[in-house]
Order: sequence, then structure tokens, then C-alpha cells
Amino acid sequence: MSRFFHGSDSSSESSEDEELSLGSGSESEEEEKPSTSGGGANRFLRGADSDESSSESSDKEDEEDDGESSSDEEGGKTGASRFLREASEESESDEEDKVTVVKSAKDKRYDELEGIIRLIENAEKIGDWSVISDQFDKLNQKLPQVQNAVGSTKTPKMYVKTVADLETLVNEAVEKDRVTPKKMNPIAKKGLNAMRQKIRKNNRTYEADIKAYQEDPEEFMKEEVVEEVVPTPKRAKKPLFAAPESISGADDDGFTMVGQGGKAMVYTPESILKHLRQIIESRGRKNTDRLEQIRVMEKLVDVAINDYQKIRVYLTLIATRFDLTSGTGSQMSQEQWKLAQQGIASLLELLEDNPNIVVIEGAEEWEDDDKQPAIQPNETFKIPGSVASFVERLDDELTRVLQHIDPHTAEYVERLTDEGALYTNIVRAQLYVERLMQDSSLGASQENLNRIVMRRLEHLYFKPSQVLSTLEDNTWSAIQGDSTITPRASSSDTTLLVQTLCSYLFQHAEGILRARAMLCQVYYLALHDEYYRARDMMLMSHLQETISSFDVLTQILFNRTLTQVGLCAFRAGLVYEAQTSLQEICGSQRQKELLAQGLQMQRYSQITPEQERLERQRQLPFHMHINLELLECVYLTCSMLLEIPLLAQVGSSPDIKKRVISKSYRRMLEYHERQIFTGPPENTRDHVMQASKALAQGEWKKAADFINGIKIWDLLPQAQKIKTMLAAQIQEEGLRTYLFTYAPFYDTLSVSKLASMFELEHKKVAAIVSKMISHEELAAALDQVNEAIIFRKGVELSRLQSLALTLSDKASGLIESNERVLEQRTQGTANAFERQTPGRGGRGGGRGGRGGRGGAGGARRGGGQFTGGALGNAIKA
Amino acid sequence: MADAHVPHVAHPPSAEDILDGASGQADGPHNPAKQHSLLPKMIPHLDRHLVFPLIQFEEDQADEEEPPAELVQLKFELLKQTNMTDFVGDLDAQTQGLSERPAEYAQKREEVLQRRELFQEESSKLQDLLADPDVLNNLRSDKVANLNYLKENHGVTVEMVNTLYDFGQFQYSCGDYHSASELLYSFRILVNLLFTSTESTDNDKLSAATWGRLACEILTTNWESAMEEVQKVRENIDQRLFSNPLAQLQHRAWLIHWSLFPFFNHEPARETLTELFFSPTYINTIQTVCPWILRYLAAAVITNRNRNFGKNSGGQYQKQIKDLVRIVRQEGYEYSDPVTDFVRALYVDFDFEEAQKKLVEADEILRSDFFLVAAADAFKDSARHLISESYCKIHQRIDIRQVNPLLVLPLARGLLTLEQGSLQPPWSFAR
Repeated sequence: MSRFFHGSDSSSESSEDEELSLGSGSESEEEEKPSTSGGGANRFLRGADSDESSSESSDKEDEEDDGESSSDEEGGKTGASRFLREASEESESDEEDKVTVVKSAKDKRYDELEGIIRLIENAEKIGDWSVISDQFDKLNQKLPQVQNAVGSTKTPKMYVKTVADLETLVNEAVEKDRVTPKKMNPIAKKGLNAMRQKIRKNNRTYEADIKAYQEDPEEFMKEEVVEEVVPTPKRAKKPLFAAPESISGADDDGFTMVGQGGKAMVYTPESILKHLRQIIESRGRKNTDRLEQIRVMEKLVDVAINDYQKIRVYLTLIATRFDLTSGTGSQMSQEQWKLAQQGIASLLELLEDNPNIVVIEGAEEWEDDDKQPAIQPNETFKIPGSVASFVERLDDELTRVLQHIDPHTAEYVERLTDEGALYTNIVRAQLYVERLMQDSSLGASQENLNRIVMRRLEHLYFKPSQVLSTLEDNTWSAIQGDSTITPRASSSDTTLLVQTLCSYLFQHAEGILRARAMLCQVYYLALHDEYYRARDMMLMSHLQETISSFDVLTQILFNRTLTQVGLCAFRAGLVYEAQTSLQEICGSQRQKELLAQGLQMQRYSQITPEQERLERQRQLPFHMHINLELLECVYLTCSMLLEIPLLAQVGSSPDIKKRVISKSYRRMLEYHERQIFTGPPENTRDHVMQASKALAQGEWKKAADFINGIKIWDLLPQAQKIKTMLAAQIQEEGLRTYLFTYAPFYDTLSVSKLASMFELEHKKVAAIVSKMISHEELAAALDQVNEAIIFRKGVELSRLQSLALTLSDKASGLIESNERVLEQRTQGTANAFERQTPGRGGRGGGRGGRGGRGGAGGARRGGGQFTGGALGNAIKA
Repeated sequence: MADAHVPHVAHPPSAEDILDGASGQADGPHNPAKQHSLLPKMIPHLDRHLVFPLIQFEEDQADEEEPPAELVQLKFELLKQTNMTDFVGDLDAQTQGLSERPAEYAQKREEVLQRRELFQEESSKLQDLLADPDVLNNLRSDKVANLNYLKENHGVTVEMVNTLYDFGQFQYSCGDYHSASELLYSFRILVNLLFTSTESTDNDKLSAATWGRLACEILTTNWESAMEEVQKVRENIDQRLFSNPLAQLQHRAWLIHWSLFPFFNHEPARETLTELFFSPTYINTIQTVCPWILRYLAAAVITNRNRNFGKNSGGQYQKQIKDLVRIVRQEGYEYSDPVTDFVRALYVDFDFEEAQKKLVEADEILRSDFFLVAAADAFKDSARHLISESYCKIHQRIDIRQVNPLLVLPLARGLLTLEQGSLQPPWSFAR
């Protein structure tokens, strides 16, 4: 059989031998061959005829080849023109019929040489030095023969490489052996020592070459590869003209046709499937060079003659690209990501052009690598694979990249622009999967479509509608075809689009996907100021009850949605609702963690690195974040509007049970109270705290100024409206606070006076007061005739009374602690108080102690109704 | 035909459009009654036979001598698919301006009569059997044995039982509600006697029969048994549709609408139905599907005041008011009409002037509402009490001349009202 046919799978040929033969006179058995480059031509011819090989090339061809290879060495020629010429050449060679299979002596020598080198390499891997030593000897024996066969004294580069590598290896091994002497067995050790001697002596001869190699191994080896590339593309018939740029691009990358172990890889349309199989089999193994595989496949795409092959290659190619970053730490480079994205796009394009070929999960694999499947145009041919998974993976990779880039850099923005392409891919994949779903005979699973629709939704729900419409427009202009779920025509109405996607998932998905779809829609509604719809949907979903049983990502989405609903309520002026919605997230100290917007370093955190890694993976990319400062600001403002009147109320009537709306707000307020000197407010928190203080003192104008001075409101749409709303709220709550706080000091209070104080309408004041009276918050009544509020005395505690209560409270506390001290003191001598049998004395004492504590607890409960709190200071002031 | 007893009947699409048009034309901005007419909203939740009285009422309300053409058209569209051929024929003649009904109706009438004969024949045997005490005595609690007994001794088949149902449906469609009610009743008894509940088809028919019977009882104004049916339907919804929340919601919405008939026409029913409406599942249904029911609920709660007085259920009344206020407030963004506005003005905003304004409007609405027309006076009375009650609670001194316009009453009666609503706070009059 011809050498070529071994070449592809069994490795009888290396690029080196081709290279070496350059320019040397031929001493082969075949006299017709004046130069070795003819070997390349021969091979090419054989490949073209596919089962015959010709050793009789015409002189003209030889010359051409010669010229060509030299020009290639100069590197002055582009791939395309070369191929053009080759193609014509090929047609000539087709005319030749009579060919004989002959192997040149030179090639034989090279084969031997290569065989030995292979053995040495294998031995290197297992560290078998005795074998290396033996083989090295053989190699040196063979070397003169090779040189002889080639007819030059030049050392084969392959040899130089091996020898140089060997030397480094030997030195390393010796070094290692010195550190850990016991590991090596005696035979190997002996071999190693022998090797060391030999190689040192031997390498002196080739010093110059080795040096050249070590300085730049790639450059050194390169020249030969250039030659190897030459014949290869000749075998491809059709695609050469289709994609010349990509080939020349590959050439520029540095020639990559060298296969494993320095073999030449030869690609023909027939062998594509075999190559793919090889690559697939090596998937997941250690020590596979994925980049190289990718390069191989890039070639294969160009070589592929029909769409089936192309699809197959793309499927593997995309998967391998993703494999590049299978580790947790690394992210995909932009270049690779883009290539993967383009790969998916071309794959989808191919699939769109070929409706009879479908890529579907669970299809049977094509087992026969040598034969191409015959695809009938009227029946569908299935290829195993999943477009949905590719798109998902692409999405994940981008998210991962975005997680790791500093969001304030230009790089982030640059990567973010890729989202448009990604979204186009998602929509396109959706169309494709929809098509599969329509054909019931294919048995495509609903789940895939659901997943894609969900992905699409996840790219939409957090964006304002203007952004969405741009995204949609760009996407639809980039693709043809139409979707049944989301028709092209309706893409302009983004609200409808989100709703359609969600409804689709409600109907067809279940469990987590459905819940997520629901949350996405609620989020979207809340973002677009549809508070009531968002709230009703949120409540009707009943997710609050079940959310704890979902996965963490869904819980995060739930938290985000809840927060967004809260913000929406705030924008609508519904302070109470906003506060309740935000309470759970903002009230805790872990809002960053709950919203997955950054890691919170806790002082005594016990999380393992593993947990931290998971946490990092969950983080949302920056562009999806909800502004935390704004969130805090809204939360504190709402809390202030609710808490300050409440504090005032509690302060004046102790019989109301102490109720805390927001613990974190109270804590901040108390901290603020404790400060002796307070400067002008610097941050949001300061503003709210000082506003709170002013409000508590009834100075609503000052409070409103403080609140409106917060800069972050400008981030909200319609900031002015919100400020007006807040001012109105502050007016009302200020009035309530004032009434609560100062009621004990008044007998009657004119309504019009109040109206002018708080700049409210007369009617409004009356309504507020009426409400307070009716809800029995205020012990007063209105006098319609005099337009005044008459406060009833004796119902509420006066200042003196409440102080007296505080005193009694303190006294009972004192008694309590006194008892406790007594208890401790008398613990050892429990018998002094209780008459008990000696054996049970100790326990008796313990029980006595418990009883005492119980009593104390009761006292605390009785007297614990009133505390001065933050408001005591306000009154003093 | 098959779904005549399933309440959600496929209405001719034009019916509602026509109605919208009708109310749209007469719609002056100052006509709160028309503006807040609930008819279009309620039609989808009622059976066509139940809609009829509502339209009739609308017609009576119209001032003109001749009923407006739109309403006649509406009635025609509504009843076109029923078997009441004579009446439909008349209506058709009226809409088309003919002096007598078109000939096709005579033919239809014949058909209907024929089918009726047929049904009569088929079902007579079973009905005779049910009337026979001997047969009834032989029936036991064992359903399979019953079926066998009837099969062997009297040749009863499953088809025959089903005929009973079909005949009932037919009669209902003819407008003969009495006999329809009886037929459906017999059908239900037989099914309960003969079939185990696992047979789902019969189960569906059974519940349809219950709905049908409820409609019959309502249309024959037989309130007591209607209330029984309401109870049955309610249980049915809770148990049978347990696994299908959507259907449950839909059925509850229907039940709420249907039970409005006994609600405002049958005194003893009011208490039960108020409770029913306030029960968590039903209040949820009202909030999600049909917030306009709040008008009826509000009216019922407010008028309940008089009824409850002296029965030591003042506490319950307070609770109902509280619930009502809460819900009205919650649903404010979705639904409001003068009645709910009144509640809100009085209890949420404490704006008495507004409340008084709304009371006037609400009164008008009540008088033009089919269900509430009878309760209008009681409502006005109770509402005044409520106003004075909360007014006195808040005020210490009241200028009686200023209060009077609030209550829309002459001075003397205003005083009386205030005294009747006498309350704890020591208030004094300043004249």
C-alpha cells in the first residue's frame, strides 16, 4: 500500500523527513526523481487519485514543486494563490494512469529513524532509562545511514530535537535522582548514568544545531512544517475556493498540521470522520492539546465537502472550544468565545439551510467512519448533539467572564457588547428548536425549548424596555425566519414579548423553570412601574411559601424580584408596602449575599474555600446589579417615615406594645443619637438619620430638606416627582409625630394652626386627626364649632408619670440583679435557706436558683413596657 | 346543548358588544347609574336564563314607552339558542319590525314539541319507578346491588338515567323550570343510588345537574331549596375540584354571581351568604376575578346593621365592617364605584363631605341595580347611621346645622338619627 495511506492513522511519516530531504540530491531507487520534493508531489498525486500513486511525475511538476517549496520557505506566498495553482496541477495529474507503488530508500531510513525516536519518547514517559540507552545507541548507528541515504552531512532536525530533549531530560532526571535517590530501580539507574555519559559526549558533535533548537524550538522546527503544509491542501477539492481566508489565517498561526508525536496529519474529506473520532475519544483525557485539536478541526471544516461533514465538525469543534476552559478558575478568552459564537452561528445557518439534517439529542451515532452516510433529500437525517446546550454553555461562559472583569473598565463594556451576538444566537436556536418541535416524528423534547426560552427571558427581564427594543431589532434584522412563540411582528412590544415568553413557560414548563419565569415577569413588571400587577402576581405565585425549597439561584432571583417590587412600591409612593417588601433583604446584614452582588466579608465567617468558590460562581455580572446604595436609601427613608411616628406614639403612651418595624434602622438611629457632635451629613445614611432627628422634633421642613438633599434620588427616573412625593409624606408623618409628641403639653390645639404649621390643607389636617382619633391613637376629640382639637387629659401619661414608670422599672431591675447576686453567693450553702435532706442539697440549690430567675423574668415582663428610646432626647431638645 | 347546565355558556359574541353600545350611547357623564352598570361584567358569569331578568330590569328602568331596540336585540341574541321558540320569535319580529313572528319559528316549535314528546316517552318509565314506593323500598345503600336490582327487575339502563338528565336540560331550555328542576332532582337521586363516585363522567353530569337545579330554583324563586343547592355546589367545588385550582376559581366566581339572586331576595340567606363571601377562599375569588362584587358585599354589610341590632351581634357587625374596609381599600386600585367610595371616604379618609356626596350617588346606583333596588332604602338609612356614628366618635362638639347636610336629612330627623346612634363619647349640641 502507499505510504500515504498509512500516513493518516499509523504514522509512518513525519514532517521532518520531508524537510530534511530538501535540496539534497536524490539517491533513491527511482532515478526519475531528481529531487526529494518530488516525494511531496507524489504523495499529493496519490491522494488526488485516492487509490493509485504515481512515482512518475512530470518534470514540469517537479520544477513547480521545487519552486513552490522554496518560495514557501521565503514565506512570500499566500495560501490562496498556492491552492489555485495546486488545483490546476491536480487536474493534470489526474490524467496519468500508470503508477507504481515504490518507497524511496531515503524514506525507509527516515521511517526507521522515526521508529527509534518514538521508542525513546515512549520510554521517556515511563522513565525506562535502560531502554532509552539502548535505543540511543541504535539511533546513533542509524544516523550515518540516513545521512548517507539523503546524501548530505547535515544532521536531520528530528534527530537534533530528540537529542536535545534527551539531554535536558537526562539532566533533570539526574537532578531529581539526587534529591530523592531511592525512587529509581537499579537497572534504570544504570541506564541513566550510561545515558548521561553518552549524551554528553554525543551532543558535543551537534552543539551548533542543538543551540539553535534550544534558542527557539518552534522556529527551528518550523521550516520543515512549511513544507508539509504544501501538499496537504491539495487534497481538498472543493472547499479551497470557499474559504481561502481561513486557511491562510491558519497558516499565519504557525503551521499546525503536525499531529500527535510530530506526525503529519493529512486531511481528506474521507478521513474527516476518523479524525473526529480520534478527537472525541481523546476528549477528557489528560495531556491532550485542545488548541491543537481546534486547529485541526478548523482545517477539517475547510476540507469538508458536504454539509453533513461540516455539521459534524462544527459539533465537535464547538464542544472542544468549550472544553478549553473546563476548569473552574479560568475563563474563556474573548477570541475563543467569539469563535465559538461564530461556530454556533454557522452551525445554525447550516441547519437552517439543510432542513433534512437535524441535530438532536439521543440520535444514533454514525458508526462507520469510512463511509459517508447517504442522506436522502426527502427524509430527515439525525445527528446526535444539542444546540440548546451549546447556546447555554455560550451564555454561561460569557457570564463567567463578566463575573471576573472589573466592571469599571472598558474591557467589561467591550465584553458586554458581545451579549447582542449571544442573544441573536439564543433566538436563532429557539427558532431551530421550535422547528424540531413542530415535527412530531423527531421526538424533540419540550425541555430543550423551555431551557432556551428561559435563557432568552433571562437576558430580557432586567432591562428597561428601550434597551429591549434595540436588542430585539438588532436580533431580528440578523436572522431570517419567524418564531411561532414570539412572532417577529410582535417583537416591538417588549412587554408583550416578556409576557409571551413567560406564559409559554407557565404552560409548558414546570417546577423551577416555571417559578423562574414567574419571577422574571414580576421583576419586569416591577421595573416598569406596574406595582399592582407585579404584587398580585407575586402573591398569587405563592412562592413565598415554597421558595426555601428551590435552588440557590432561584432564591437569589426571588430576592431580586422582591427588592424590585419594593422599589416599585416606593416609586408609586406606597411607603408601607415598600418597607415591608424590602424589610427581609435590607433588614438583614447580608444584602450583598442575598442579592448575589458581591461577597460579604464577615468578621467571624466560617465559610470554607469551597463555599466561597460556589458563592463566587453565583455572583451576578455587574450590569444586572440593583444599586445597593439606592436600595439602602429607599429602605431607610421608608423606615424613617414609619418608625418616627411610631416612636413618638410609643413614647407618649406606654400601654401600646413596643413594636419594632425595622431593627437595623433603630440600631442606626440609636448609634446616631449617641454621637455627641454631629457634623453635616456626608453620606446617604447621615442624611436619613439627621432627617429622622428633625422629623422627630416636628421640624418637617428641615427633614424634607435633608431627604431631598440625597443625591442618589437622581438615579431614579422622575426624580422630581419622587421628591415631591417624599415631601408630602414627610409633611403628614411630621404632623402625626408632632401630635404624638406634644399632645401632653396641649389642652386644645387649633386645626388651622396645625394647617399653617405643616402647610397642609385644612381638610387634610382634619382628616389625619380624625383618623388618629378614630383608630384610638390619640386621646382627643374634634370641636367642630371652634375648629380645634381638644385633648383629653388623664388618658395619656404625663412626663412625670412616665418618668415615674421608668423609675419603678429601674427599681425592679435592681431588685432582680440583687436577687441574682444573693443566689450566687448562697449557692454553696443552699441548706441555709432550704431545709432538705443532705443528699439532695446541691440540686435543691439549683432548683431554688431557677425559681428565683423565673420570678425575675416575670418582673421584667411586667415593667418592660416603657423605655425612653430615641425620642426622649427629641423632647428634651 | 350539552353545556346548557354548565354555567359558562358560550354566549353569542354580539350580545355584550350590543350591550356596551347600548350603555355607551345613553351614557351621560352625570349618570352614575349607567356609568357604573355592572351588567356587561356580570353576563359572562351567569347563565343565559339568569341574565334575562337582569335585562328585563334594565328595560323596565328605561324611561321610554317602547323598550330600546338595543335591549330587545340583546334579549333576542341571548335567547336565540334556547327552546323558547314563541318568545324568541316575538323578539325577532320586534327587532325586525315585523307584525308577526317569522315562519321558521313555527317549524322550530314543532321540532321542539316533537323532541319533547320523545323525551317524555323515554323518561316516563323511570319517573314512574321513582314514584313507586315498592321500588324505593327495595333500594339499599349498596350501589351495585341497586343497579343490578333495577336492571333485572325493571330493565333500567344507564342510558335511561342519562335521558333523564338530557330531558331536564331540554325542559330548562324550554323555560319549564319546575319540571326541569324535578327531573334533575330525580337524576341526581338515581345517580347517587346507583353509581359509585369513581365514574367520572357521571360525576361531571352530577355537578352539572346541581348547577342546573340551582338555576331552576332561582328562576322559580324557590329560595330555600336554592340555598340548599348553593350549599351543595359549594361542597362540590371544594371537594371535587380540589386538584384543579383554576376550575375552582372559575366555579367559585360563578357561584358568587348566581347566589346574588337569593342574597338580596331572601332575607335568611343574607347572613349565610355574607359569611360565605367573607370566607377566605371566596374573598380571594372576589379579589382576583370579580372585584365588582364588592359593591354587593358592601351594600349587604351596611344594610345588615339593622337586622343585627338587638341580636347581640354588634361585635360581628363591627368585624364585618372592618373586613369590608380592608378589602375595599386593598382593591381600590382595581375597582371603585360610589358604594365602595362611600366606605372608603367614611372609614379610610374620614372625609365626611365626600362620604355624603358618595352616599347620594350610591343611592342612585342602588335604585338602578337589579339586585340592590329592594335594599336601597335600608342602605341609605344604615349609611346615615354609620356616618353619624363615626362623626360623633371623633367630635366633641357638633354644630347640628352643619351635620344635617351630611346626613341629607331635615333638621329634626337629623337630631333623631344622631340620638339613635348615641354613643359613648360625651358630645354636646351647639345650636
